Amino acid sequence: MSDSTTIAPDRVEVQAPQKQWQGQSVPRKEDKRLTQGQGVFVDDIKRHGMGYIHFVRSPYAHAHITSIDVSKAEEIKGVYGTLTGEEVASLTDPFFQLATPPGAHLKDYALALGKVRYVGEAVVAVVAETRELARDASELVEVEYEPLAAVVDARNAQDDGVPVLHDDAGSNMMWESVYEWGDLDAAFAEADRIVKIKELHFHRFNSTPLECDGALVEFNRGTGQWTIHTNNQFPGFAQIMMGPALHCGLDKLRFVTQDIGGGFGNKITSHPQLVACCLLARKLNRPVQWTEWRTDFHLSMSHGNERWFQDTEVAVKNDGTLLGFRTKALDDAGAWLRYEPLGGVIWAQVTPGVYKWRNIRLEFTQVATNKAPCSPNRGYSRMQHLWFTERVIDIVAHELELDPVEVRKRNYIKTEDMPYETPNGCIYDSGDYSRMLDIALELIGWKDAAARKKEAASRGKLLGIGIGSTLDSGTNNFGQSRMINPELQFSGNNEVATVKLDVFGEIVVTLGTTPQGQGHETTAAQVVADILGCSMDDVYVRAGHDSYWNSHAGFSGTYASQFAVTGLSAVKGATDMLAEQIKRLGSVILGGVPVDALELADGTVRIKDNPEAALPFMACGAIINANNAGLPEDLDVTLNCRYVYRPPFEVPDVEKKFGNLTLTYAAQIHAAVVEIDPETGHYEIVDYAAVDDCGIRIHPQIVEGQVMGATAQALGAVVHEAFEYDEDGNLLTPNFYDYHVPHALDMPPLQTGYIESPSPFTPLGTKGMGEGGGAGIHSVCAAVQDAMRGHGDAIVYDSWNPYKRVWEMLQHPEKTRALVEVVDA
Amino acid sequence: MSAIASSKAVTVTVNGVEYEREVEARKLLIHFVRDDLDLTGSHIGCDTGNCGACSMIVDGQLVKSCMLLAVQADGASIETVEGLAEDGELTALQQSFSDHHALQCGYCTPGMLMSATALLRTNPNPTDEQIKKALQGNICRCTGYWNIFEAVKAVGS
Amino acid sequence: MLLREVEYARPASVAEALAILKQHDGARALAGGQTLINVMKARVASPDVLVDLNGLDDLKGIELGSDGTLTIGAMATYTDIAGSAEARARPILGEVCLTIADVQVRNRGTIGGNVCSNDPTNHLPPLLCAVGAEMTIASEDGERTVAAAEFFLGVYLTAVGPGELLTKLTIPAGKHDGFAAVTLGADGTCIANAAASLNGSLRVALGCVDAVPIVVQPASAAEDAVREAVRGAGLMPPSDVHASSEYRIHLAEVLAVRAARQAAERS
Repeated sequence: MSDSTTIAPDRVEVQAPQKQWQGQSVPRKEDKRLTQGQGVFVDDIKRHGMGYIHFVRSPYAHAHITSIDVSKAEEIKGVYGTLTGEEVASLTDPFFQLATPPGAHLKDYALALGKVRYVGEAVVAVVAETRELARDASELVEVEYEPLAAVVDARNAQDDGVPVLHDDAGSNMMWESVYEWGDLDAAFAEADRIVKIKELHFHRFNSTPLECDGALVEFNRGTGQWTIHTNNQFPGFAQIMMGPALHCGLDKLRFVTQDIGGGFGNKITSHPQLVACCLLARKLNRPVQWTEWRTDFHLSMSHGNERWFQDTEVAVKNDGTLLGFRTKALDDAGAWLRYEPLGGVIWAQVTPGVYKWRNIRLEFTQVATNKAPCSPNRGYSRMQHLWFTERVIDIVAHELELDPVEVRKRNYIKTEDMPYETPNGCIYDSGDYSRMLDIALELIGWKDAAARKKEAASRGKLLGIGIGSTLDSGTNNFGQSRMINPELQFSGNNEVATVKLDVFGEIVVTLGTTPQGQGHETTAAQVVADILGCSMDDVYVRAGHDSYWNSHAGFSGTYASQFAVTGLSAVKGATDMLAEQIKRLGSVILGGVPVDALELADGTVRIKDNPEAALPFMACGAIINANNAGLPEDLDVTLNCRYVYRPPFEVPDVEKKFGNLTLTYAAQIHAAVVEIDPETGHYEIVDYAAVDDCGIRIHPQIVEGQVMGATAQALGAVVHEAFEYDEDGNLLTPNFYDYHVPHALDMPPLQTGYIESPSPFTPLGTKGMGEGGGAGIHSVCAAVQDAMRGHGDAIVYDSWNPYKRVWEMLQHPEKTRALVEVVDA
Repeated sequence: MSAIASSKAVTVTVNGVEYEREVEARKLLIHFVRDDLDLTGSHIGCDTGNCGACSMIVDGQLVKSCMLLAVQADGASIETVEGLAEDGELTALQQSFSDHHALQCGYCTPGMLMSATALLRTNPNPTDEQIKKALQGNICRCTGYWNIFEAVKAVGS
Repeated sequence: MLLREVEYARPASVAEALAILKQHDGARALAGGQTLINVMKARVASPDVLVDLNGLDDLKGIELGSDGTLTIGAMATYTDIAGSAEARARPILGEVCLTIADVQVRNRGTIGGNVCSNDPTNHLPPLLCAVGAEMTIASEDGERTVAAAEFFLGVYLTAVGPGELLTKLTIPAGKHDGFAAVTLGADGTCIANAAASLNGSLRVALGCVDAVPIVVQPASAAEDAVREAVRGAGLMPPSDVHASSEYRIHLAEVLAVRAARQAAERS
């Protein structure tokens, strides 16, 4: 680590108290209500007199709005009112933009103003007494459009004569930057071979949580406060976007949620719709409710970033040693920058992937197109980049006729090099990728590969095996946003928890997070129970999130693989404080015993050497809360503890684009076996292995559940799921009829494995996890390419490989081979 | 001649409780149950009849309640997720879902449980393939289904 | 999810259903609803009156004649057909029905609704063409029968006219049938399919390649003969997100060969 200028976080002592609960797959606290249909999801909430919102959406990908007439809709009995873009613009400011110019110039409002830029963009909102009536009335809203040509291919977006989406920006280029680390010239001089890859494409899809977005918004005229019941998964971000737009303080935006039906990053950028709801609740003086239907979601919400990797050059030695690469990443952001261009830096958390190459240059350009806006999707921006690095590895191995396993092992960062500083200053905390690969290969039966291929061939099938190695970088350093825009005043990260002991001894935990199925109530209770020496049954973790609970920090939410670090560290911090207070109280009540002589066990504070002398938590709670006369004046004990965990980060060096961008690096090594029917291109994943390392596992079953779910999403994405547009900008997969997600019968046999490399940087040794499923895309792409070896040797150049593409590759492998060239250096 | 009308008085029995409501002919059974009867355990995850989050058992038959009008259910006996547990005591299947971590966000779970319940009634010991076939109409985006298969299988055997 | 206003009738007899259908231009029969309700949700279709056939037991029977002829009521569900001892006389019917969508859809969806919606991705239109089914169409003026090959007229368009109702399907005896499909995932939407029936001569019907099933009659079940027949059909299928026209033409040929092989091999 000779070029180190990053300050590695201090190693923290991983606390290993008596771990009665942590590490156990205890029953989830959430399950009892959820298995009985007693969860409270946003669409379950009703209010007296509420109005239902229906959005009138654009039928055009790109058009001027020449007129809007809502009068006929408003005449209908039972229609409460409408909202148009012009009204929105008169009442709010545009959302603030993260980008530097030209992206900074975008004027993004809750509803389209003057122009529509993608099919499905909300133009007018109609509110009525019933859902049906709101939709009926929306059909009477008259909007006249003057259609414009649509920009649907990012590669043409900057060409002369191509229509510009945002006149304010002047062109379709939104943001660009050049990232370069190491010495590219030296690397290419040292290389034996240069592998050139003309173009690779990572496709557009998202995780399609089964519950779409929604909100019920109430406005309190007396206090000027909105209560926003919503399933937005990052209220901290939504508040920061919405407050300035609505000209209000953040406390006027109370976010409340209980159960969320999946998020996967896709529920971060609903702030435009929420602002429309807020304006309507105020205007109409009644609660308003918005349900996003599936087709609405597909048309308009949070597509994953589509990215092209062009003119890639890889410097490599004859033995497969990777020295470095150059590439141009062209990112298609869709019509608006709702969280973008953060994707333009997020990938840099995993710049070299799991490999040791030190010399990397990436020119990043993000353009606007007439498609739905991109926003985070499970594996956000790193998945695209890691798919690229894995494609590079397999293409290099393929072209140099090397074993892809050997190339990986030769280039993997070694466990003895951990913590490892990457060329751009990220500190990989711990891990053992080679060992994980060995486990995956064992699970998948790698040694029998040749025999299996032969057996499949006897049935007329092409069998291929592929590996996907990937990283799940967790706990963001928001300082990386300054590489996007040095003016941004974000850095570090935080999360909060409160733990209190109530009158009757109830231990009540409040989280700042917004879980969507990750079992936070359960894992938080495990941590608390271990520290307090009590039963998990005695720990009550409040369900959901309420920004009024005083358990809300600037970065509160559930996103970007961080709960096991930020959330649980906050829980641990607050519980440690409570434990210390209980002991101090115990010391007084038990007759001045020194605090050191006390322990917490069996729901009591007691004297270590005399466990009979014990004060139950119930008594502690009662004394402090309701029976406190006569306590010493200097006893500073509230039994109500709030802790904000702040990960150890520095502000990155913006000039050099250097610094630690995330705190933990969970790793995933997957292996897939596919069988292709060469006559049709139809293929099946016939075996699958997923090996995960996310450090210490608080709840192994929950961890494994995340691995499985992320894997399934990847398998859907690589074979079936794509947001495909036609040349006019119409989405061809607007719902589950054409957007095929995996169903029960589609699931291959799965074997899982794990290792535990504790993070030396986190209080519990945990790492964020849950987004590593992208490895499934990488491994299936590799397996499909492997299956075609000796059958045309096609190169898998796209992350979306439906049957039609596989057939096409088998028919015309030369078209894909033309993308690759190997030259002697 | 039967009446032709755009709304109709409908009587249904849901989980043993009888309800009578005037309902528009165009209203889907799922909206009727969720919005009018306030039984919000059954969910909506799509608008094309693909996801199965709204699955209910109507007169003994598993259906997606988003592809049935409420007026069509007049006189029917309907079972939803709320009717599975008795007095808060989980059924073996519900307990098995929890034991096997067969749910994460819980949004698909009510429909999934109804499909599995319907399967186990007619086929108490299903094979792996029969379980997959029986759950084909229910989309889960969190679990990848593997733990759901295990949960159903454990109850079966 | 939110339908336009619609009137609803639940007739007590076929005669009553026919009367309502005749009286109301905008009336439409509601069978299983597994297609119709969905297109109504999208407001792509909005009939004025829905004539719910679900109470009509007369339309649900499955009968096997002494000559092996199978008569299936239009309101028989896929589940009914798959579970029917009588329908097993033509095994392919139940087998294909069991690959349609999922349990819930099979419990409600009907053979009549399937063919009357004639969505080009449906399984049954090509299958019924291949097996030589005849459709019985009733109106207040009486009954008429139409061969499957003439029944399908266009996307969502069949020989069932205004005021008419498909009441039953008649399927001749036979066992030498085959069906092959490439679907979006297992039991998913068809990208292309082919049904074959070898009872005397070979008849192959190709689905998802045109608005209606394309029937070809290869000289034999030999691969070359089948391929030649499919090529001779001059297919010009549409391209969509799942398949190019070229790919569909190719699939049609491969699937025709597979269906024909299955038909020939079936004892």
